[in-house]
Amino acid sequence: MFKNNKKAQVGETLTWIIATLIIIITLIIFIYASSVLPKEHISPKVNVEDEVDGIEMKTSFTHFLAQNKNKEIIDDWIKKENE
Amino acid sequence: MNRILEKNKKGTNKILSIYWFAILILIAGGIFAMVYTFYNRPYDVRELEANVMANKIADCLSNKGYLEKEIFNGNFLLNEDNFLEKCNLNFNIEERWEEPQYYTKVSFYNLADMDTSIFDVANGNKNLISSCEIQKDKEYEKLAKCVERRFYSLDEENNQYLIKILSVVRKTEKNV
Repeated sequence: MFKNNKKAQVGETLTWIIATLIIIITLIIFIYASSVLPKEHISPKVNVEDEVDGIEMKTSFTHFLAQNKNKEIIDDWIKKENE
Repeated sequence: MNRILEKNKKGTNKILSIYWFAILILIAGGIFAMVYTFYNRPYDVRELEANVMANKIADCLSNKGYLEKEIFNGNFLLNEDNFLEKCNLNFNIEERWEEPQYYTKVSFYNLADMDTSIFDVANGNKNLISSCEIQKDKEYEKLAKCVERRFYSLDEENNQYLIKILSVVRKTEKNV
């Protein structure tokens, strides 16, 4: 009877050891992911062009005041920013 | 024999509770490590800061489509010394930096020659200009961020002026 008990205990201990290993491996995977993710995907990229842009508004308003005089030439020049 | 089994059961329970505490501490530590590594990186807001500076300068130069009288009254009234004061800018805001971490240059053009500026004014750390030259093809994290904005404005006689603002922010140690 004692022999049988011992076998059961060994089986149960193995289950716990494997469960612990799974927990540790899962934790390591999540810690690694949380260190890699901010660098690749979640680094903040602010796209100012999508926001309401005060400088663009200034140009539009001046075009209106100047009755669109030389509008195309001016807009072409402005498009070259950051080139 | 029943007594022996009962004692054994108590011992197993004790070991199990120690094991559960160990696992609890392990998981709590893991969650702490995850949050710490995720939020430990500083946010790089230099591009945004450079854009804000360019916007601020544009507001200072032109209002409601016309050049400000303090800036232009037939002649340009800006120079390197009064530029920051007129635009309410202060480049020495933090004591941790030995050198200014900003540079800005404003160039005015007229329509007759859109490649050669008729007036320039600049202020800040001139050493940062090289960062903009280097990053024309590829961006480097450790170098200063450069933003160029263009717009146009009128003077009182409705002459058209094209204005280019170059805004550079370094502050690498704080943002990268």
